[in-house]
Amino acid sequence: MVSSKILTRNTLIPVMLFLGACCCDREVIVDSVPRPPASSPQPVVSLPPVALPAPPPPPLAFVGPVLGDVFYDFDKSFIRNDAVEQLKTNAAWLQENGTRNIIIEGHCDERGTNEYNLALGLRRANRAKEYLVKLGIKPKRMKPVTYGEERPFDDGHNEKAWKQNRRAHFVPE
Amino acid sequence: MDFFRSLVRCVEMRFFRSFLFGFITLFCYLFFSPQPLTAIETGEYIAIRKQGSSKIALVLNKLGAKEIKDSSLVGDFNDVIRDGIDFTGLFSMISPPVNVNEYHDRDNMTINFDALNSVGSEVYAGGKVIEKSGIINLDMEVFEIAGAKPLLKKTYTGNQGQLRSIGHAFCADLVELLTGKKSVFGSKIVFVSNKTGYKEIYRCDFDGQGVEQLTNSKSISLTPALSPDGKYIAYTDFTLGHPTLSIKNLLSNRIVSTVKNGVSIDPAWRNSREVATTLSYEGEQKIYFIRPDGSVAKRVTKGTGIDLSPTFSPDGSKMAFVSDRNGLPQIFIQDIQSGEVQRLTFSGRYNTQPSWSPVGNKIAYTTWENGGEINIFTINADGSDLKQLTEKSGENEAPSWSPDGEMIVFSSNRQGKKKLYVMNSTGENQRGLLKMDGEQTQPNWSLFR
Repeated sequence: MVSSKILTRNTLIPVMLFLGACCCDREVIVDSVPRPPASSPQPVVSLPPVALPAPPPPPLAFVGPVLGDVFYDFDKSFIRNDAVEQLKTNAAWLQENGTRNIIIEGHCDERGTNEYNLALGLRRANRAKEYLVKLGIKPKRMKPVTYGEERPFDDGHNEKAWKQNRRAHFVPE
Repeated sequence: MDFFRSLVRCVEMRFFRSFLFGFITLFCYLFFSPQPLTAIETGEYIAIRKQGSSKIALVLNKLGAKEIKDSSLVGDFNDVIRDGIDFTGLFSMISPPVNVNEYHDRDNMTINFDALNSVGSEVYAGGKVIEKSGIINLDMEVFEIAGAKPLLKKTYTGNQGQLRSIGHAFCADLVELLTGKKSVFGSKIVFVSNKTGYKEIYRCDFDGQGVEQLTNSKSISLTPALSPDGKYIAYTDFTLGHPTLSIKNLLSNRIVSTVKNGVSIDPAWRNSREVATTLSYEGEQKIYFIRPDGSVAKRVTKGTGIDLSPTFSPDGSKMAFVSDRNGLPQIFIQDIQSGEVQRLTFSGRYNTQPSWSPVGNKIAYTTWENGGEINIFTINADGSDLKQLTEKSGENEAPSWSPDGEMIVFSSNRQGKKKLYVMNSTGENQRGLLKMDGEQTQPNWSLFR
């Protein structure tokens, strides 16, 4: 048996809302198609016809240059052609963020020996920095460091992983 | 004919017979008896091993006991001494004959040298453990069996917690007595392990026991190197976000670091006052000498390219190091005084990780082979006598010599993860050094005793 209290509440509230809706002195638009003004005696405030502004464009990913990694050939540190675009983008970021400095981390894949890979990683970071200097960035804004093979991006043991690890990684300070 | 007749008549004379007999005996003794072990004038005893045998035949007798409260103590001492002697690979252990000891009465025990002789041993070592109010005394005696000649009689003292040190102190004396060379006992090995999830530096005894953690950077700590006096470690330290040279005092735990721009990689001690390491602050990655307070003393290597991984000859006058001045990394030797550089390695396209033997002119290093294996080689400093020590066993890296130059510790992934192994300097007897979680790499064997 449903308690009378609950019954009262369950009917009273919707009724109140219904009445409230009816008593609105403004039309409630429920769909985007403009409805003809109601011919009810209820006073309706009709909004002056205003051309609605064009809907805002959908939110984009952050527009503007984003720092990204560049990649190297096995055992090498020269700047590849496919790295040039990203380096230009990184330079653009540095120009847009004129007060920010960055750290350039050089990394290697796991092959070879750890000590030499520390040195090779630094050489890769240096080459990336040199390229950015050529693009007009002040040297003291960029600090090259190395992690050798100690911080792989992908710790797999195949070329798919290794080629991702042979990289320079750019970090705002 | 006449001559022979007179000779025979002589032999018939008794006097002449005894004389002849004596002469023949003396002749045989001088030229046909087994070569004895001999002592040299300095008073140090150097063993001359029997021809054809490279090991010293030793009988290590079970220790006696006197007034021992804890009966397991004697067994423990037996184990420590036996395992220690075994580790060196210098001895062939011969079981003591059953009648090795003769008991004349309760406290009077003599050694039966005839019995020892008959089992073909050269040296006898034995003794007893005595406990006196918590202090342990290990009384040891060593004899040369031929001639029952006493070589050593010494008591080693300590408390129960120092059992290994006491036993190893005897082993050290035994080895130095019989080989004339510094032994491995008491030496330490530092290495890197990622057991905690971070690469930290650890230290253990020469035989892999007693592992202790030395750094707790929760970052990356690499390439540890113990100073010759054992008081400091130098290492590559990433705590500041880039590799710097840190020197840690192992007693006070105080750390000094180089504060140059750029990075520092892979230090090594030239002597107790100078560390060599690669620094990049002048543009190129070159090797510099650093003082123990972290300040730069001078630049050592010249030219372009990467120079790293220095290692020094025993007198510190020459430095072997890695350089890619010619392309891929190879090993070169630089005379510190004159600055002259000569290339050492011509075999193999990628040669790194050199380690100069602390007793001579041999250098161990690794070659990264075309097939992907990494193997350990030794070579004389003049480029002669190239020997391969590992093969068909994955990646074998970072060789480091024992202080007596008899053994090499290295890191190998032959069984999956990288673990520490030791082997004789000839490459024989390769076996694991210690069991530990994670991967162990970059071992460095101390110089001091």
